[in-house]
Amino acid sequence: MSPADKKDKPADYQRVVLKNASPYHYMKVCLVLEDESTRLSAVDLKQFIISGLKSLYGEVGAALTFDLLKYDEDTLTAFLRVNSRGLVKLWSSLTLLGSYQNQACAFRVLQVSPFLLALTGNSRELQLD
Amino acid sequence: MSVDLDQTPRSLLVCDRSSFLNEKNRISSQVEQLHFNYKVSLLLPECSSAPSHLDAVFNSFNSFYLIRNMPIYELLDKHFLKTAVYQGSVYGVSYRTRIDEDNCVALMPNGHLSLSLDKDSFELLGVEGKPSRFNHRTTCRYVVCVDLTDSSMAPGGRGYQRLLTGLRSRLQLKTDFLLSHHPGGGASLQDLLSRYDWSEHRPDVSSHTLTDLSCPALQSCDLQSCDPHSLLEWIGAVDAHISCENSSSSFLSSLVCPEPKTTVSRALSVSVCGLLLPQDVHRLIQQIRYYLEQPRLESWVSLTVHGFVDSPVSWRGNEHGVLRGGENFYSLLIFHDQTYQLHLATGAHDTCPP
Repeated sequence: MSPADKKDKPADYQRVVLKNASPYHYMKVCLVLEDESTRLSAVDLKQFIISGLKSLYGEVGAALTFDLLKYDEDTLTAFLRVNSRGLVKLWSSLTLLGSYQNQACAFRVLQVSPFLLALTGNSRELQLD
Repeated sequence: MSVDLDQTPRSLLVCDRSSFLNEKNRISSQVEQLHFNYKVSLLLPECSSAPSHLDAVFNSFNSFYLIRNMPIYELLDKHFLKTAVYQGSVYGVSYRTRIDEDNCVALMPNGHLSLSLDKDSFELLGVEGKPSRFNHRTTCRYVVCVDLTDSSMAPGGRGYQRLLTGLRSRLQLKTDFLLSHHPGGGASLQDLLSRYDWSEHRPDVSSHTLTDLSCPALQSCDLQSCDPHSLLEWIGAVDAHISCENSSSSFLSSLVCPEPKTTVSRALSVSVCGLLLPQDVHRLIQQIRYYLEQPRLESWVSLTVHGFVDSPVSWRGNEHGVLRGGENFYSLLIFHDQTYQLHLATGAHDTCPP
């Protein structure tokens, strides 16, 4: 079949299955601080996460690129994007981050997915009462 | 060690391209086979308010019912089986139960009841089941699936009695339950509802307008147009109100819209949340096709449907688990010439979508 014939028939059926092909992973995380009145800007938060990567994995870890896609200052909730290969490093350093400016803190990982779309449709957030 | 750190759990993305005019297209069965839909979101480029026929579909999504603290043996009630399960399709799924820690229940439209139970509950129930496919090392979760329309499960039969006594006197499983019925609606469920604390819920519709949105230049016949992962990422970013206006050197985020891109002056994003029936999604798709038949500035519409993350089943009634995200969703891109691109995605604890 010549390419011209193919163009006349756009109604072909094509199916491709991609396994583990997602280049990025997305995390929805929430920072819980001992003193709830503490305010953090988006830049502060990213800097804080980088410091966590550095303390756990050293300079090489601090060079891990990740993006702070969205950040809500009121709830301290953020969407992060990281290369799939760096997910475990980022997640483990978030887990071990225990103090921010001499006060106890913890990151709650709310959702992790290879698709950003999945983070916008989490049925655990359905509130009916 | 470094190898382990780089690995992530399995994920699957199925990309289908075809046309509604192709008789081999399976879009209706793919839509129908995802029974428990939580959220439908729609992106209409170059549109500031939804046309009335689309609005009518959003506002006519079926209501659903929340029954608080319902004993699961009520689903085996003779009258309920006769008026709801044997007549039409019942969609029921336990609410506020988490499949990675609690017992979860789903009643599918084909009359199959699926219970995902921890080991203790399964042993208490004393009904045949099988270990979950997603057990790791030790078996700690079991799945019991029974066909309520089967002759052995007819009220009074042995299988029926065994399950009923198991659920009523041994396991005594109670949970909040979401329920919907097609086509009977609340009338078919009235008898069950009247015995418990229940409330009716309308799916929650919200919409907002976006201005000067950069979006990928999408053309239907261009098969090599856009990488599916970047496309889904962009749709997700729009849905989550994440800005794509970044440069590669910015400190916070380097997320950008996939190339080649254009800018649309305005776009409408509409989302509906609740227990949504596949029949309603199907009706919406038909109306989108009708909407695209009229000449427009941008000739595509994107529709995304998310399944419940804690449902014990996903497509075709196959077992589903959550692991980290529990994602089971599909994203449909419909073009004016009746062609479409469908992306079906699942996480680690799921089988391949249809």
